[in-house]
Amino acid sequence: MGRIVGIDLGTTNSLVAYVDTQTGEPKCIPGPFGSTLCPSIVSIDPDGSIIVGEPARRRLLTQPERSIYSVKRLMGRGPSDVQSELKLFPFRIEPASNHVIRVKLGEKVFTPPEISSFILRELKNWAESYFGETVDRAVITVPAYFNDAQRQATKDAGKLAGLEVLRLVNEPTAAALAYGLHEKPAAAGGKVAVYDLGGGTFDISVLKLISTGEGDIYQVLSTNGDTHLGGDDIDNLLQAFVHEQILQHDQIDFSPHGELAQELRKALIDIKHQLSETTTAMLRFPLPNGNVFVHEFTRGELEALIRPVVDRTMGPVKQALADAQLEPSELDEVVLVGGATRTPLIRRTVQEFFDRKPHTELNPDEVVALGAAVQANILDKGVKDMLLLDVTPLSLGIETYGGAVAKVIPRNSTIPASAQELYTTGVDNQTGIDIHVLQGERELAKDCRSLARFTLRVPPAPAGLPRIEVRFLIDANGILQVAAKDLRTGEQHTIEVQPSYGLNDADIERMLEESIEYAEQDFAERQVIEARTEAESILLATAKALANPQAAQLPAAERQMVDASVAALQEAARGSDYKLIRRQIDELNHATEHLAELLMTSAVQTALEGKKLAEV
Amino acid sequence: MPGRLLTRSDQWLATANASHFFYVCDEVRKNNMATQLPTTNPPLVCWNCHERTIGTHFCPGCGKLLQLPQGSDYFAMFELPRKLWIEMGALEQKFLQLSWKIHPDNFVSATEQEREISLKRSSELNDAYRTLRDPIARVEYLLAIEGTRKNGESKQQAPPELLEEVFELNESLDELREAKAEGTDTASLRHRLEAAEKNFGGKLEKVDTELQAAAREWDQAIDSAADDVARRKAMGKLNELLNRRSYIRNLVVNVQKELL
Repeated sequence: MGRIVGIDLGTTNSLVAYVDTQTGEPKCIPGPFGSTLCPSIVSIDPDGSIIVGEPARRRLLTQPERSIYSVKRLMGRGPSDVQSELKLFPFRIEPASNHVIRVKLGEKVFTPPEISSFILRELKNWAESYFGETVDRAVITVPAYFNDAQRQATKDAGKLAGLEVLRLVNEPTAAALAYGLHEKPAAAGGKVAVYDLGGGTFDISVLKLISTGEGDIYQVLSTNGDTHLGGDDIDNLLQAFVHEQILQHDQIDFSPHGELAQELRKALIDIKHQLSETTTAMLRFPLPNGNVFVHEFTRGELEALIRPVVDRTMGPVKQALADAQLEPSELDEVVLVGGATRTPLIRRTVQEFFDRKPHTELNPDEVVALGAAVQANILDKGVKDMLLLDVTPLSLGIETYGGAVAKVIPRNSTIPASAQELYTTGVDNQTGIDIHVLQGERELAKDCRSLARFTLRVPPAPAGLPRIEVRFLIDANGILQVAAKDLRTGEQHTIEVQPSYGLNDADIERMLEESIEYAEQDFAERQVIEARTEAESILLATAKALANPQAAQLPAAERQMVDASVAALQEAARGSDYKLIRRQIDELNHATEHLAELLMTSAVQTALEGKKLAEV
Repeated sequence: MPGRLLTRSDQWLATANASHFFYVCDEVRKNNMATQLPTTNPPLVCWNCHERTIGTHFCPGCGKLLQLPQGSDYFAMFELPRKLWIEMGALEQKFLQLSWKIHPDNFVSATEQEREISLKRSSELNDAYRTLRDPIARVEYLLAIEGTRKNGESKQQAPPELLEEVFELNESLDELREAKAEGTDTASLRHRLEAAEKNFGGKLEKVDTELQAAAREWDQAIDSAADDVARRKAMGKLNELLNRRSYIRNLVVNVQKELL
């Protein structure tokens, strides 16, 4: 069995973390660019290769039609739900999609779980390079307010990335876990609110921390949120504001999805970040007509613009407190999570509401991944000193006559949770009973989220005689399972639950086959590309060294060896045998050892020349 | 074709008495049939070591998590008598203690069968805690497992002494809806409905007090090992009060909705 990691699959950035067995501390794993943040951006090359993260970010500007960001917004959603998103985000949805969204990237078409799986696979690669071992299991975090379909889509993405998803953990709960480790909750029975505003989602969770003889229990009392509210919305507001200004001053109405819009968005995100540190920031944005759009933003102006977003978070905050039957003053700690909580206006608003300085000690970008790593470690080792008791964010209901909804599992029920419903027939010899499962708080089925529809098979009998018990179970991941049983015969029914939005088993099967092809291709290609890049840099360094006058001191035999190694490496790098390239790199490294020493000595001498001894 | 969803009490009845989803294994059932001893608490055979066991949660022999015994109910799960007064602190303690042991986190690398048992038992534990923690749900559940709340019982009949007031209230509600639709002034109607909301809110509080008294009667009947007649009397009273409560509560909710 390979290693296990915790993954924060975010709207804007994704991270992977693990628990160091030596120190017991969770740590985020850096990628090839040194940062622990992997931008959740995916780009597909014309040759079909998949580019993820920082390199894909550049392509967002140069090849927007082949690149996608914020795909998390599309997870577990149907084509009709995303119409409003399409106005703000450059998603190219295929019109042929029915129960599942398909996004066009270049020539190919992908579902959101597939695109997310590319991000997960990249993080898996980061971790594998870091450990030098395979990674095959993960705990992945999801927004607490994610519904069943969104959770299922995330789990599917993990599977497609070649990861066994041991648990989906709610992001604010993971953050609380990381904080709990960091500073032991002062008092047993302490109540903590976690305010988590990420790139595209908002969660508020209220937890109770209980110390028992055996360990700590993190019991979630209530959760609420908005799965389409986040830093992205702040960027959209800024973009719309500047767009309007440019339209007025320069009469330029550029497409909101084109290259120019992406560049503007990038510039505005910089402005937003600057205004978290300083009170003014200058935007200079060159326009196609040769003019430069100049605007000095003040923090006050930004705050006035984004206040609607901040205000929208407060409704869920109040509801979560009401559901936990707590007043703001009864909270012992408040924790801020998510990059967007760096915004001074948000910090101030939260502080005023709870009348308490919120915790910001841990990096708000990393804290969720760290918590996921802690949970992964608990599940892996089986030795636990803490337990998470999470809740389902939305009520589970069944459609009844007249399109009303009968709630069977109320929101904020501790999971796993279940409900038994007993059904009978309405007319003689009825052979099927249609069941429609929904999630949401509204009273009418049409206002709730449809999770699944299925038909119970019933043997013909007089009306009202059959007794079919249906068991709905929400598992520890917040995902629904359904089983049915005929109470008269004791017969178990297998229920084929077709998700209303999402992938069915056949879809997954087909995608898995495709993804395995990708995986093999991915792995070999990545190795070749990495080896070639390394070869290029060492060849360049060698050429520079040989051009140095000091190189003349190198004995002829050695010089010949270096030249031969250079030629051999150049030859190898033209091919695609990465093992051969690596061997030639090692050989060249070895051959140039003396040369490097010569240059080093000379460099030290140059540096010392003209300096007094005392200065050395 | 849609079917008919039976009432909540039916479901609890079905769950508690007839059809636990997690029966003891088939072997045990055959065993019971052969000896013809359908007791309320049949002896349980551990699914793993096949020893007869008296464990409520774990097999004392092999330590494996047991399936929930047939005929077990939410009270038994917490090792409580079927009484309505429950000490909440102790209930929470027990809940946390059992969660620590039964939660699926403990069984991630166990066999599929154990994972399945843990998932089911853990959900049952959470369902039980959710029900017993809520005083009204607790009474409903007790009535269901005691067999007092029966199939499709109509609970939406107005208590006779309230008929007149309810009639007036419904009229005012209709008038308010009409006024809203026509866009005419609703101030005086709202005023009248607010008064009615307060009135029925008061009645709700009164029912709750009466429910508490009836609950004490039930508990006393249990404590004194009273005869069936006394128990049935206490049950009947609880049942009637619950119906009354649910009726008044619906009224209040409807008024609140219109007033929003």
